[in-house]
Amino acid sequence: MMFRRMTRAMCLAIFLVLLAGAGKIAASDLFLRMDPALTGLAGLAMRSLTWIWLPAVIVMASALLAGRIFCGYICPMGTTIDVADKCLAPAPKKQKASYAPSARLKYYILTFAAGAALCGVTFVYWAAPLSLITRFYGLVVYPVVLMIGDQAVTAFYPIASRMDLRTLMFLEIDPPRFATGFFVLLFFAAVFAAARISPRFWCRYLCPSGALLAILSRKPLIRRRVSPDCNQCGICVRNCPMAAIDPDAPEQARHEECIVCRQCESICPKNAVAFSADAATARRLHPSVSPARRQVIFSGIAGAATASVALTGLNVVARDLSEKGTVREARIIRPPGALPEPDFLEACVRCGQCMAACPTNTLQPVWFEAGLLGLFSPAVTPRRKYCDPECTACGNTCPTGAIQKIASAERTWAKIGTAVIYRQQCLAWEYKKSCMVCDEVCPYDALEFEKRPDLPYPVPHVKEDRCAGCGHCEHACPVYNQAAIVVTPMDAIRLRPGQSFEYAAKSRGFKLKKEPQDQKPASAAPAYPGADIPDGRAPQPPGMAPGFDEGG
Amino acid sequence: MKSLIKPIDRRTFLKQMRGLACFAGASMLVPASLWAQNKMPDLAVVNGEIEPAVKKAVDMLGGMSRFVKTGSRVVIKPNMSFASGPERAANTHPLVVKALAQLCRQAGAGRVLVLDNPLAPAEQCIENSGIGAACSAIEKDMAQTVSDPSRFREVEISGAKSLKQTDVMREVLNADVLIAAPQAKSHSGAGVSLSMKGMMGLISNRRVMHRLDLHESIVDLASLLTPDLVVVDASRVLSSGGPGGPGTVLTPKTIIASADMVAADAYTVSSFEWYGSRYSADQIKHIRMAHQRGLGRMDIDKLKIGRATV
Repeated sequence: MMFRRMTRAMCLAIFLVLLAGAGKIAASDLFLRMDPALTGLAGLAMRSLTWIWLPAVIVMASALLAGRIFCGYICPMGTTIDVADKCLAPAPKKQKASYAPSARLKYYILTFAAGAALCGVTFVYWAAPLSLITRFYGLVVYPVVLMIGDQAVTAFYPIASRMDLRTLMFLEIDPPRFATGFFVLLFFAAVFAAARISPRFWCRYLCPSGALLAILSRKPLIRRRVSPDCNQCGICVRNCPMAAIDPDAPEQARHEECIVCRQCESICPKNAVAFSADAATARRLHPSVSPARRQVIFSGIAGAATASVALTGLNVVARDLSEKGTVREARIIRPPGALPEPDFLEACVRCGQCMAACPTNTLQPVWFEAGLLGLFSPAVTPRRKYCDPECTACGNTCPTGAIQKIASAERTWAKIGTAVIYRQQCLAWEYKKSCMVCDEVCPYDALEFEKRPDLPYPVPHVKEDRCAGCGHCEHACPVYNQAAIVVTPMDAIRLRPGQSFEYAAKSRGFKLKKEPQDQKPASAAPAYPGADIPDGRAPQPPGMAPGFDEGG
Repeated sequence: MKSLIKPIDRRTFLKQMRGLACFAGASMLVPASLWAQNKMPDLAVVNGEIEPAVKKAVDMLGGMSRFVKTGSRVVIKPNMSFASGPERAANTHPLVVKALAQLCRQAGAGRVLVLDNPLAPAEQCIENSGIGAACSAIEKDMAQTVSDPSRFREVEISGAKSLKQTDVMREVLNADVLIAAPQAKSHSGAGVSLSMKGMMGLISNRRVMHRLDLHESIVDLASLLTPDLVVVDASRVLSSGGPGGPGTVLTPKTIIASADMVAADAYTVSSFEWYGSRYSADQIKHIRMAHQRGLGRMDIDKLKIGRATV
């Protein structure tokens, strides 16, 4: 028991460390890629079978060998639910020993999701344990922890300043904030509250990964075996968290329900239970709970049908419906490196790890802006913060490659959109104020200012071929509410794996370099007078530099 | 935030400001009496290599000890708001900041901080500007960025015309001496970005200044945050395309120092070409307004200018 407790604590800790380091450390998506349903269903939806599914394959192989050890030892969702059970479950005496056939429900959830995945629609994020638990810790728990840290650092600031503790003085924790966080919380409140019904309710009845592993662990090599010493006292039946032991014949168990927690082994007064590969103590196998064939077929068809209805919705953005009269894509700005939209929505498992990894917190889960199929998918929200043109965190941590890893040399070419100016909102255009904040913050030099005879101050124009859509301008625009400069998904470069962003951008005529190529180094800069303007800006009207006036 | 400000805070602050003013006034008097014929210039203009030029310029104004006393808490405000290197001339040259920090240390400063509230990501600014590395050669963690609103405190600006209140970095309010070390550069909104415009790097909400009259609110802010010493880095001048560049970079290799922020800015404006043309200082609205309000002098032809080459 001690071994199991430590293993689980360690796995949960590693999971949390990887999540906290998402985007910065290697293999931060390891746990997500171990989830059999998550990887299996995403792979099915993407029609892709590559080495990135290897961790899940290993987990599935382990089920053949030793049953659902992933559920019992590794899964952070299982561990979290167990902790919640400890806090919320009724006293053990009141628990009824059950041996419920409703354990079948999880198979139907799996086949429902598989039916949808066959149609190229992913519903995996509603049920795959690692998608759910990553969202829970990443989008709900992590911000709360950082907020508390921020409060602590702020409270300590006066002391740190007095004692001149520089690191503490200037430590600024900017806690991330997430849309839909409350929904995730409510969802988990329901999952945890199910402890009142039975321990590990989720794992028993609902988890599609549990179902997939159950199919593989009907007769694992290492499994629960009961010696003839068993006197059928039934204590193991009452303590089995998975209700895997037959109340009428405790020497028998449904191995596909067993998570190898070995509670029965440690609690048995007769020491009659052992988990071993030793066939000598084997008794006859109990018939398994099989998902009924008719219901499997039905739930699979139901999944496919639901997917089909979703795909024909008007607000769908999953397919490029280029015929006349169709609604064009929603104004969702995807993170840099996101696959073309249909592929992206198939591949994205909505784990939220990219959002937890995003250092500027611009990546947010969307509700229905991207249609039903885009639920919880990540979007760049420049008004919240810009998307740093140096950063590749989201792609580095995406478990399915829905957001590709971008080589740092390619990063500045991964255009995610184009800024447009709403002149009627703009301080310079409409309110005749001196404002050039968009130009000041633009790392791509994508704004140019024009001095017009009818306006007192220069007014901005976007140079579309230089704009990468990073959103520095929209974020910093001093106009309240609706910014006067807004990033749209126009001209975003969405590529399939293996294609070059630099090549794609250049072939479309974009000049997306943070330091423009034609910028001369200082040593080579011509000394004035007569110095030319090197960056291709329109020359200023003679006589007046921007911001200067006639004097007085 | 307003409700959080207790009267005692403001009183304390005003007291500090009064103390600062007396201190600055006194320190003006002492060297003046020592120099028999008041040889000290209002403006020091030095050409040459950066570090010796900064030291020479400060020396000509009476040395750093005129501004920094033993135990003084000093804040140096350079431009380090952009994630670009010195060649682009959007940030102050790291050697200017380093030379100033060294002079402060030699003058016996108790604490020297190099602070800015940057536009670009903080780490990239500290690193790419070279200021972080240059300063850590003197003292670890000297150059810092401050952005979290909790590290600022609301302050009323008495006599302000546009910007009647703002949030100033606490570390600046706690400091005894403020040194402005602006990069000489053009600015498409304010004409130029020099010591006065640079004070926007010490407050939290800058956006509001663009909705107000930018020039007028720059003067309001300068009346609150008046540096004791200004050292303009014109080793390179971003003559066009400012504030962030890229643009035409001139290389006059000049350092301009003064205890009068308006004079320093005015001299810088009239000394270099902006967008290929020459301008006089009064063609920058905020310099003109600051002069009219008596924050300093833009009539540089009436000031005593010391020149040197190192």
